[in-house]
Amino acid sequence: MDIAELQAYGYFALTGFMVLVLYGYIYHLYSKKKDADGHDYEDYSNMALNDDIDDAPVTSMSDDKEKK
Amino acid sequence: MFHWLEKHPFFFAVGVFLVISFAGLIEILPNFAQASRPVIGTTPYSTLELAGRHVYIKNSCNACHSQLVRPFKSETDRYGHYSLSGEYAYDRPFLWGSKRTGPDLWRVGNYRTTDWHENHMKDPAGVVPGSIMPAYRWMFTNNADIDTAFAEQLTVAQFFSVPYNKPVPMKDGSTTVVKMGSSVAEANALALAEAKLIAADMKDQDVKDAVANGQIPEIVALIAYLNSLK
Amino acid sequence: MENRPLEYDYTVAKMFMLTTIILGIVGMLIGVILAFQLAFPEVNLILGEGLAEYTNFSRLRPLHTDAVIFGFTFSGIFSTWYYVGQRVLKVSMAESGFLMFIGKLHFWLYLVGVAAVVVSLFMGITTSKEYAEFEWPIDIAIVVVWVLFGLSIFGLIGIRREKSLYISIWYYIATFLGIAMLYLFNNMEIPTMLAQSAAGESGIGAWYHSVSMYAGTNDALVQWWYGHNAVAFGFTVPIVAMIYYFLPKESGQAIYSYKLSLLSFWGLMFVYLWAGGHHLLYSTVPDWMQTMGSIFSVILILPSWGSAINMLLTMKGEWQQVAASPLIKFMVLGSTFYMFSTLEGPIQAIKSVNAIAHFTDWIVGHVHDGVLGWVGFMIMAALFHMAPRVFKREIYSKSLMATQFWIQTLGVVLYFTSMWIAGITQGMMWRAHDEFGNLAYSFIDTVTVLHPYYTIRGVGGLLYLVGFLMFAYNIYKTMSARPVEESELQNASPMGA
Repeated sequence: MDIAELQAYGYFALTGFMVLVLYGYIYHLYSKKKDADGHDYEDYSNMALNDDIDDAPVTSMSDDKEKK
Repeated sequence: MFHWLEKHPFFFAVGVFLVISFAGLIEILPNFAQASRPVIGTTPYSTLELAGRHVYIKNSCNACHSQLVRPFKSETDRYGHYSLSGEYAYDRPFLWGSKRTGPDLWRVGNYRTTDWHENHMKDPAGVVPGSIMPAYRWMFTNNADIDTAFAEQLTVAQFFSVPYNKPVPMKDGSTTVVKMGSSVAEANALALAEAKLIAADMKDQDVKDAVANGQIPEIVALIAYLNSLK
Repeated sequence: MENRPLEYDYTVAKMFMLTTIILGIVGMLIGVILAFQLAFPEVNLILGEGLAEYTNFSRLRPLHTDAVIFGFTFSGIFSTWYYVGQRVLKVSMAESGFLMFIGKLHFWLYLVGVAAVVVSLFMGITTSKEYAEFEWPIDIAIVVVWVLFGLSIFGLIGIRREKSLYISIWYYIATFLGIAMLYLFNNMEIPTMLAQSAAGESGIGAWYHSVSMYAGTNDALVQWWYGHNAVAFGFTVPIVAMIYYFLPKESGQAIYSYKLSLLSFWGLMFVYLWAGGHHLLYSTVPDWMQTMGSIFSVILILPSWGSAINMLLTMKGEWQQVAASPLIKFMVLGSTFYMFSTLEGPIQAIKSVNAIAHFTDWIVGHVHDGVLGWVGFMIMAALFHMAPRVFKREIYSKSLMATQFWIQTLGVVLYFTSMWIAGITQGMMWRAHDEFGNLAYSFIDTVTVLHPYYTIRGVGGLLYLVGFLMFAYNIYKTMSARPVEESELQNASPMGA
């Protein structure tokens, strides 16, 4: 097996893997709808809209520390 | 897995990096050894030719002229045999260009002469009516940088084993040796000897005088380089 | 001072706004000169025979590309980063003396780098590799500037209040990582002063000269892997970062689908890097890489359109804003041009189309409908949105903005239509044979035929430059002529008559 063949197999396997991951991600996004912290993904759009320095963050750093 | 990535910006960055470096790893790296092998008959550039190549680069000739003949009838009719990978083994950097505002130059040495280049660089539209190429008259007075060309020869010989002072196989079965000086003085002498051959075919008296006085104007080096493209 | 409420600190953003505008004018002015040099070669002697060496097309051409890429566009990226970054992370640069210092250092070193690039390119000191023309000392300076940019990004992320990273931040991170990787690998070079002759001499010749680590075909592969992806991570990724913030903010509408934006991000990251091979179709690189370049270029339509459609749908139900606000016009037309050039690119990457298009002006046209229509419009829109907020003043003139919009749109249309015709004409003439199988045209025939199109292109470019000068004037007047407003406004930018 020469290097070109290895390269071809490597390419094929990794591309297949990446495609699986990408579709897994699509499935994850649209089935769960919420992320690890229980926020609806669409809520994150508000990060741009409410971005004054005294607006409440969507997920606050300090909340996180209290939980721990 | 996705939940976890969302919470860790550092690993997120690592993930991005893996995804974007993937193509480069697969596509580029494995081919390196193969593509850098010269075809028979390809010789390294002499000191003067390399100095001419630097003049070519300094004036971004590659902005308008390609050095890549594609395998189409229309291109091989116009420019000669299509390009082979190994022919570029000593081209650092490659000068394929991305735009043909002017014609391809990869085999220009086959069909243009010293005399043609001299007239053309002085007044392109005078040689080719309708040409939009600007004149490059300063090349007749600026001197070429032979020292830097020599330094580059030394570098590629040391780091990339480019065969200077060694027999290189030619197409007819013979071998040829491209000489490189052992000192700055010798390199300049070699370049000057080559420059005298070019200057003998030129008409410009100032250039002829300069070469007779031991100087090498940029135009002489550039023509040496262009003549070497075959 | 004690009780003053915490505010975002836009000092560094303002500094980079300035360079965006100045380098934009410089780069576009050189571009217009180049365009007219192709139409009227005597323009090469614009400053007389004595300075011909420095006003010549070939000497100016790298200056044009580098001024608009590394000057205008990257200043715009930095400026918006120092604005958007603070806001979506909800942390002020005033809170960290260290980050403020890094930000200012970033700016000043960048300015030094720009000066070095301008001087060296005028002198003809170049490695010839497109968009990577700089010799090794400048490369090192660029790496330092880039590391400072990285420190700013990750430093600000480190002290953030908002735990989640907004999609724009993802794109800024990707810009940082992508350019870092590409730039380092493509600029691997050995300074020739390290070499030693047999006689023991070293440090021979010009100290700044270097030789590429790669030769011939390999060098081409690495260069176009870089060249193509520098477009990805300079002209696409960071500009998408901008529109994901500025369009929702300016229109007051949430992104149509945040999930789609995440998906498009990963799709773009994965697919874009493969597409570089399309610059080398029918060259001496292996066939399978060329084919791969073609295929992935076509697939690239999907993630690109994912972002663009997401942006257009964000305006759903609010289309009256496009008519009412010139700022929204810039962004909506920008997204449209983005869709347009990400469709055009893949078409040109199809092998049989590329056989005609490669080496012609069609490619130049493609680049310019992307950069003028998408990158240029988006950066100007971003600056228009930022100006009232960082200067706390209303935009000087809304009607001037609207006029500028139409002048520049006309300029872009003239530009790409003339270049399409020029490119296809030339491509067809190069390959035409007569009935005996001889070439139908000599090369010079295919040059002289382009004269009218080159002239139209020059006019198109000039219109765009005029519009950009109006933009600069509008921003300048906003800074100086308007009264200071009391409070920051939420969404739409306040605009004067």
